[in-house]
Amino acid sequence: MTNRLIVHDIADKAEAGALAEIFAGDTVFSATPAVHHCVGCFGCWLKTPGRCVLKDRGSDFAAMTAAHEEIVIVSRLVFGGVSPDIKAVFDRSIGYVLPFFYKVSGETHHAKRYDRSPGFRYIFYGEDMTDREKQTAKKLAAANMLNLGGVAHEVEFCESPQDCLDLLAARRD
Amino acid sequence: MKITILNGSPKPEKSASEGMANALRERIERTAARTEQTEQTEQTEQTEQPDVTICHAAKQRHAEIVDILAGSDVLVLIFPLYVDGIPSHLLRLLDENQEAISEAASGATVYAVVNNGFYEAGQNNNAIEIIRNFSEKTGLQWGQALGIGAGGMVGVAPIGRGPMKNLGKALDQLTDRILHRKTDPDQLIEPNFPKFLYYKAAHIGFRQNARKHGLKVKQLYDRP
Repeated sequence: MTNRLIVHDIADKAEAGALAEIFAGDTVFSATPAVHHCVGCFGCWLKTPGRCVLKDRGSDFAAMTAAHEEIVIVSRLVFGGVSPDIKAVFDRSIGYVLPFFYKVSGETHHAKRYDRSPGFRYIFYGEDMTDREKQTAKKLAAANMLNLGGVAHEVEFCESPQDCLDLLAARRD
Repeated sequence: MKITILNGSPKPEKSASEGMANALRERIERTAARTEQTEQTEQTEQTEQPDVTICHAAKQRHAEIVDILAGSDVLVLIFPLYVDGIPSHLLRLLDENQEAISEAASGATVYAVVNNGFYEAGQNNNAIEIIRNFSEKTGLQWGQALGIGAGGMVGVAPIGRGPMKNLGKALDQLTDRILHRKTDPDQLIEPNFPKFLYYKAAHIGFRQNARKHGLKVKQLYDRP
């Protein structure tokens, strides 16, 4: 069975509980309430490698990511990207890669800290998504995968958190 | 003309975004003063000196920033690329205050200057799209974005000289566009500095920094 990490921004307790039930046995991380935002200190590279220097729930998300084979992101779509709560977690996780550069097809990326290459699955929700926002989200997911050294990515769109739950419950293996 | 520059770096000071925000303000004020002088000589109508304010998304409260934005003709967002997008504190400001910004800066033209620590300026394209989507959803006018590669070099050399020559030229052109509220295709700017040397300098810097923090270089590879 695939070892999954689910990170979500669903604030409603009943819906968040239903998500945890769908993924019983996996790791579920709620990005809500928000963790502190990244302060741009690069401490996760140069002071406490792989770990954010700020002390809260977001400190060890990089190591948590490395311990799973698939990362499922359930996020409100905001201007074609993840929500501020999810982004705060991601921004605090760049210790997942090393500061050192290497080239992939002539383009600069950060070298991998861990051997494992997880798959990334994005499920975005929102009522008034534009086509342009959806296109941005797909490109963003592909870029994230490349920069985090992932192996595959998938992007889906739903109208509401409940629709995300229905989709995830139907696909649960 | 009221111009608000929003510094979206989470660093309180000495960031590449701050360096570029100051350089842009200086260029706008200098160019406008020169235009005014020329027009006075030619005895044409006097141009109003633009009112340029820089705010800091990580240091000021949302309400304070929205107040500053009130009546702006131009909004310039200057920020670093974070995980292929915009830093979360800036995203939160734009998301939670979308309506207030739409009302405060109604009809304003939006410009963005996005810098990344990679070398390739094109890696800023997704963050630029996010700002364009914000601009469209908020009912603001889109002006232009500059994508800057090797942003870590801002501050190493003066903007407009040596490795930062291309950046200086791009900010000069952006100044002209802002003062005329022109819309143009986005522009990607890389430094006048070879990629392999940029890597080398960055890697030396990482190792030195690690030692400064009491770490051995091999500890940078730790796997917690």
